[in-house]
Amino acid sequence: MQVMVLLQQVINGLSLGAVYALIAVGYALVFNVLKFSNFAHGGVLGISAYAGYIVANQLHWPLIPVILVGILTGAVVAVLVELIAFRWIRLQKGQLVYFFVTSVTMLMALEQVLIIRFGASFESFPYTLLKVKVIHLGELTVSITYLLSLVLTIIAFSVLLYILKKTKIGIAIRAASNDLVATSLMGINVDQIIVATFIVSGLLGGLSGVLYGISASLSPQIGQIVIKGFIASVLGGLGSLKGVAIAAVALGVFEVFLVATIGSGLTPVVIFLLMVIFLLVRPQGFAGVSFTDKA
Amino acid sequence: MLEVKNLHSGYNKIEVLHGINITVPDGKIIVVIGRNGAGKSTLLNTISGLVKIKSGSILLDGKKLPSSPHKIVSSGIIQVPEGRRIFPSLTIDENLIMGGYLVSPSDLKTRKELVYDTFPILRERANQQAGTMSGGEQQMLAMGRGMMAGPKILLLDEPSLGLAPLIFNQVFELVKKLNHEENMTIILVEQNASIALRMADYAYVLENGEVVIEGPGKALVEDPRVKAAYLGAANKKV
Repeated sequence: MQVMVLLQQVINGLSLGAVYALIAVGYALVFNVLKFSNFAHGGVLGISAYAGYIVANQLHWPLIPVILVGILTGAVVAVLVELIAFRWIRLQKGQLVYFFVTSVTMLMALEQVLIIRFGASFESFPYTLLKVKVIHLGELTVSITYLLSLVLTIIAFSVLLYILKKTKIGIAIRAASNDLVATSLMGINVDQIIVATFIVSGLLGGLSGVLYGISASLSPQIGQIVIKGFIASVLGGLGSLKGVAIAAVALGVFEVFLVATIGSGLTPVVIFLLMVIFLLVRPQGFAGVSFTDKA
Repeated sequence: MLEVKNLHSGYNKIEVLHGINITVPDGKIIVVIGRNGAGKSTLLNTISGLVKIKSGSILLDGKKLPSSPHKIVSSGIIQVPEGRRIFPSLTIDENLIMGGYLVSPSDLKTRKELVYDTFPILRERANQQAGTMSGGEQQMLAMGRGMMAGPKILLLDEPSLGLAPLIFNQVFELVKKLNHEENMTIILVEQNASIALRMADYAYVLENGEVVIEGPGKALVEDPRVKAAYLGAANKKV
């Protein structure tokens, strides 16, 4: 029986970790190209979650279209954030700290939009969204929303991997992560590549927002879970998307176990403390690899 | 033909180039030598659109160059930058694909074959991460990546930097070959003055952002001022 409880927790942890991985990779994509912490990513996923909520609650759309609305909203909002907030700073060759401050401001601004529209209360997706709530696997009871998170995350990462490895624009996003100036010397329009990066990041952000909203609940502060993506990115070593995704899943599992053992009050404290210690011991992350020019 | 006319350029408020005039006829090798900080890289970066023109102009076949770097590349001017700047986390193959970003899929294939035939080592390591290669191999990749776009004019910024003599001889041989066989126009910036001047059709000496001496490459090798300032150490070794 004890084993079953453990297994149950692992599954819960994996599904939470999957959502964290979506957040973290979306966040890391932009970091890799523009080298700043884009906390506005939280705002993007918040708006997307509520966009899904609106079409589910008021228009009674079924599950798949609701998720698609969330994903597409993520892409649109992410591009708007780039155009409104970041492009001008980039064209002025502004310092990285300007980007960072602007991204935090955008997170708060997008949160305020949600508060104005929905108030500060919690909302949840309608119960009718999912017809089956749980499935039984022997003694295990698995929530269908958790399974949904896992499956959609795996699909999303497969598509992402294909784009980044096999398409010209995906390879260009990786090239831009290495060296933006050299990328422009290839005849590549870096403005377009940056927009493409924000689109991909926004698609992932939108998906993570809707999934988190469906499996937990919605509040205007939902965007602040971008912090979890940030922690996972640091743990994973920012340059490596694979490392970031694995660290995010580990973080999800770890968090579920902490909540089960020491409670949800202390859990964030422990996680932040561990991150600080980790940064002291291994600042390059688990998978962090740095390349230097060889003479 | 590329013409640089009374060019002033630099970064923010600091002007680096003060009225440069350079003419690059089609199919020639033009060499620019000068010490560190003379403005050689700034000159190439201004041609490539990375550094803004303050005044003066750069004309390609009589027409003003576009202002953004990617459009300059599509007009046929390709730079192989200083320090190579290959994409370390991409594979060699992916680096070449990036070099041929603007090229049609069928041309991409034939050009890649050409690069692999020129540098067999790159074919052997096609799927290896570029950052794991030696400096000489990285320089070959940088040159190959530059060739992918099918340049009319190739800008080379200190390709010999940090390379062993055997390797940089190979690099210079390739430059000559590209010039002779592909009729590629070359602008070569070098600190390695003696070798560079011998292969130059015409050369310029840059000092503090101005052209102080110019003339056919072979004439500059014999020029006493050039000998004293730039060839002294090199000649002693020979």
